[in-house]
Amino acid sequence: MNGFFAPLKPVPPGLRAALAVACFVLFFVGWGIATYGGFVKPLFLASPGTTLASGYELFAKFGFTADIGVTVARVFAGFALAVLVAVPLGILMGAFKPVEAFFSGFTSFARYLPASAFIPLLILWAGVGELQKVLVIFIGSVFQLVIMIAVIVGAVRTDLVEAAYTLGASRRGVVLRVLLPAAAPQVFEALRLVLGWAWTYVIVAELVGASQGIGHMIIEAQRFLDTGQMIFGIFIIGLIGLITDVAFQAMNARLFPWVRGR
Amino acid sequence: MSKLVIRGVSKEFPARRGGGATRALEPTDLTVQDNDFITILGPSGCGKSTLLRVVAGLETPTAGEVLLNGHPVTRPGPDRGMVFQSYTLFPWLSVRDNVCFGLRERGVPRAEQVAIADRFLAQVGLKGFENHHPAQLSGGMQQRTALARALANDPDILLLDEPFGALDHQTREVMQELLLGIWEQHRKTVLFVTHDIDEAIFMASRVVVMSARPGRIKCDIPIDLPHPRSYRIKTTAAFADYKERLTEEIRVETLKTLQMEA
Repeated sequence: MNGFFAPLKPVPPGLRAALAVACFVLFFVGWGIATYGGFVKPLFLASPGTTLASGYELFAKFGFTADIGVTVARVFAGFALAVLVAVPLGILMGAFKPVEAFFSGFTSFARYLPASAFIPLLILWAGVGELQKVLVIFIGSVFQLVIMIAVIVGAVRTDLVEAAYTLGASRRGVVLRVLLPAAAPQVFEALRLVLGWAWTYVIVAELVGASQGIGHMIIEAQRFLDTGQMIFGIFIIGLIGLITDVAFQAMNARLFPWVRGR
Repeated sequence: MSKLVIRGVSKEFPARRGGGATRALEPTDLTVQDNDFITILGPSGCGKSTLLRVVAGLETPTAGEVLLNGHPVTRPGPDRGMVFQSYTLFPWLSVRDNVCFGLRERGVPRAEQVAIADRFLAQVGLKGFENHHPAQLSGGMQQRTALARALANDPDILLLDEPFGALDHQTREVMQELLLGIWEQHRKTVLFVTHDIDEAIFMASRVVVMSARPGRIKCDIPIDLPHPRSYRIKTTAAFADYKERLTEEIRVETLKTLQMEA
């Protein structure tokens, strides 16, 4: 079948990149028209130029680099903690059905507890310091991760497990040398996905009781109605998200070349 | 002493919601001598795979027992090498490491593993593909690797569950010759499940025919064709006689199966 819009038909890589860039360009053009064209008041939406100027000011005068560093550190600390708990627990749940039966009800319940609702409690328990921010991210990510990893490990093809048994593998061998390598690529995909969610929790955590961080900067900017700074802050989050996502994808492609079959 | 004794083995799968228990296998007796190449021929769904899986230790029989060299079978083990119909190579391992899998589980030194693996890979005609990954191989090559993987463990008996079932006709015939060649050389005891009459006669020293579900052994026909056999034997009168007889036996069972489903 010919034509651009045949379902599932791939596009050439050059065109793919061009289309992705075009979307960004269109976005900025629309934004520019809305602001420079006078359709939206500057009070509500800063123009691209003003936003960029605010961004420069943030870096040059207000030490925004430190804010970014603090936020990134919080995300990675909270996420690392969640991974440390969720990966072993998820693997145990996926591999051993009694463990799954024990935890799955609770984790499914806990998954729906909004991390942001814990902020008042966490402030009470852990104060307004770093620990509280890290815990918000931890709570937001850990249950999602556990469930996703348990499902991934539980869905490993049983015929691979049976083949391993007929080759003389012990139960331990099956878990370590079949379930783990078979599930690893999808587990890393799950980590990539949940890391994205961790970014939304960190900002929420920083909107309340923080003295540093991107979220804190955004709240400060709101006080002065500086939409330029607010938008720039949001953009920076998107940019960091994009960078970590691309890095994660590249890492997965390197770690698991066999997935695509080359 | 008989190599493998199947004594009164039956299998019933427990009732699912809204249905009764499924009787997959009637009490079955089968004795396999050392160096026998037995093909189990039956219509689909007759329980022939279930019987093989009981011998492999992957299913527990509802009644009866399986003895290998006089010892009861309770679980899967490397003394019974198995090749499945589905492609069960570990996709994250190279072809060589797939063949090494069982040896590695047993703690064989790496150098010895590689030597054994390469010898069997050469035997199935995969010299030069040691470092490929399964996804880079055709179906026939994957099943040859699986055969090498089972043989590398030096099992007492080889259990083959329609291993060529997913291959195209031409590849299938070449694979039969390859397996037969290996058997003529090593004289491994083989239990081979198939629904293909030509395949059953061509390789077997005995063809065991199973009835429609619930499966039981209907007849046991020694194949008295000279070794070494080449593909040309398929056009001889003796082969045609066996084929005529088995076609009748199987046809009745297939019709029964169809009536049951209607």
